[in-house]
Amino acid sequence: MSLHRYVAGRLAQSLFLILLVISLGFFVMRLAPGDPVLYLYGAQNVSAETLDAMRRQWGLDRPLWQQYTAYVGNLLQGNLGYSQLNQQPVARMLARIIPNTLLLMIPSLVLATTIGVLLGILAARRLNSWGDYLVGAVSMVGYSTPPFWLGIVFIVVFASGLRWLPTQGMSTLGSSAQGLARALDVATHMVLPLGVLVWWYLAAFARLTRASMLEESRKPYLMTARMKGLSEAHVIFRHAFRNASRPILTILGLHLGTMFAGTVMTEVVFAWPGMGRLTFNAIIQHDYPVVLGVFVVTGVAVVMANLLIDLLYVLLDPRIRYG
Amino acid sequence: MAERPAPRAGTLARLHTRLQPLADFWRVFRRNRAALLAVYALVAIVLGTPAVVFLLAVEPEAISTDVLARPSRSHPMGTDYLGRDILGRVLHGVNTSLLVGTGVALIGVSIGIGLGSVAGYYGGWVDHLVMRAADALLIVPTFFLILSIAFIFGGRLVFVVLLLGVTTWPQIARIVRAEVLALREEAFVLSARALGVGDAKVMFREILPNTLPPVIAMVALLASSGILTEASLSFLGVGDPNIVSLGQMLTSGLEYATSAWWVPACPGGAIFLLVLLLNLLGDGLNVALNPRLRTLA
Repeated sequence: MSLHRYVAGRLAQSLFLILLVISLGFFVMRLAPGDPVLYLYGAQNVSAETLDAMRRQWGLDRPLWQQYTAYVGNLLQGNLGYSQLNQQPVARMLARIIPNTLLLMIPSLVLATTIGVLLGILAARRLNSWGDYLVGAVSMVGYSTPPFWLGIVFIVVFASGLRWLPTQGMSTLGSSAQGLARALDVATHMVLPLGVLVWWYLAAFARLTRASMLEESRKPYLMTARMKGLSEAHVIFRHAFRNASRPILTILGLHLGTMFAGTVMTEVVFAWPGMGRLTFNAIIQHDYPVVLGVFVVTGVAVVMANLLIDLLYVLLDPRIRYG
Repeated sequence: MAERPAPRAGTLARLHTRLQPLADFWRVFRRNRAALLAVYALVAIVLGTPAVVFLLAVEPEAISTDVLARPSRSHPMGTDYLGRDILGRVLHGVNTSLLVGTGVALIGVSIGIGLGSVAGYYGGWVDHLVMRAADALLIVPTFFLILSIAFIFGGRLVFVVLLLGVTTWPQIARIVRAEVLALREEAFVLSARALGVGDAKVMFREILPNTLPPVIAMVALLASSGILTEASLSFLGVGDPNIVSLGQMLTSGLEYATSAWWVPACPGGAIFLLVLLLNLLGDGLNVALNPRLRTLA
């Protein structure tokens, strides 16, 4: 398969998946039992004329396919709908809050990848040693720990038992600190949620890396590399790990949705003002557009991330370029 | 694994040949002490919890004036803000989780085997369609999709289990398809077809039994991810309000994390334990059933 066909195929697939996510969002909303306008305004005691006006404004009096094209058109312009309960466009609510989620997600991903990959390599190097068993046990427990439960354990142990760290929110309530003091305040609030996420992600990376490195360790090119007299570090990192990283990244891409979900859970436990809190509150308040907005945004983000991973590999792996 | 030629001797010898793979499997599996422990613990939980709940008629909603009591002899896990015995509620919650795990695994495995074998056996556009659908389900974050659907249509337990089941088949389908593709050209399949055996019979009698080992290893993992996802959904508030669920207990206990730790910690610990045991079992099965991993064990 030529490079162009591969890239074109992946682009087409991603486009299709984005369209699928959008369509699912639309149909879930439209197939919901009852009248969407009543969901939005029913509690507010409005007259029948106003409701009709709202139906016209939302295009609900038009045929389904026109509603669908209007919906897709709105999304393409970044319009995710309007949250009547919060009197704000959903896109604005998400845009304000997504940076907070990324503030947790990105550092924990970086930390967990680094530590997890190193542990996985170590375990695969010393197969069936006590180190291997320890890494296996840690990643098995980590993988099985629901993030929301670990969060509660952390709160009980570190925050209320030892009183070391704050457990709720992103900054001290009522604090007007600026600059460095504020950064420090946010950083102390980050420690526990970050710990939960690192512990949880790390397990997945260690397991994946171990399996992937084991797979590589049996291939003859490693023996060639060693026979050439290359240093062990060179053999492991430049040869084996480079080849092992592809399945790791691919499966990481497939795990991204679960990782988003884990972050959402962790945010709820620590009252972190991110997408998790937003989703949780929207569910309590029955704020439909927000919940669907979260699905559409995470869906598109995960599809794009998977596309990026695959395209990255076109650059990194000559076997795809010339294959 | 290709079928061994059956020796001519009587039924006993035939039975022996039939059981040989099982004996091989057990020899490898029981060396994994963690997985063995998980099997014993899971058997105890699966048989014990429903027995205790139904034979002793544990009433999860019975309130008392003994509010937020510490764990004691009469309430081994303490009581919650309504004075309900947490142990009794956890047992009910574990029951729910076991149902969820079983249901999700059964639905996921059935769809996965069905679609995977059809895709592998017939190939062509059927294969293409099934595999593209599997890719789509693997990439699109189904957690948020199920969350939205359960939120809008109401999170009745049966409905949630169904949603989880119909979104977890892709891994199974991929495994089964790969096995079927490999087996399709094996001598014993070709000879069955040469003898004029029909498609359905070749599939069910010759091919499918041989795809089962890797699928069995996946069952425990499907159940554990089903339990975890259901707990997460009910934790976020889209669970079944009429059923005691560990996730819901966790959310309602969240505000007592600093004042009465046992309220959220006990249901959370139960989820952790169930998921851990199932993952250990899955891991052990995988090593014992996957010939490539077996040589490393």
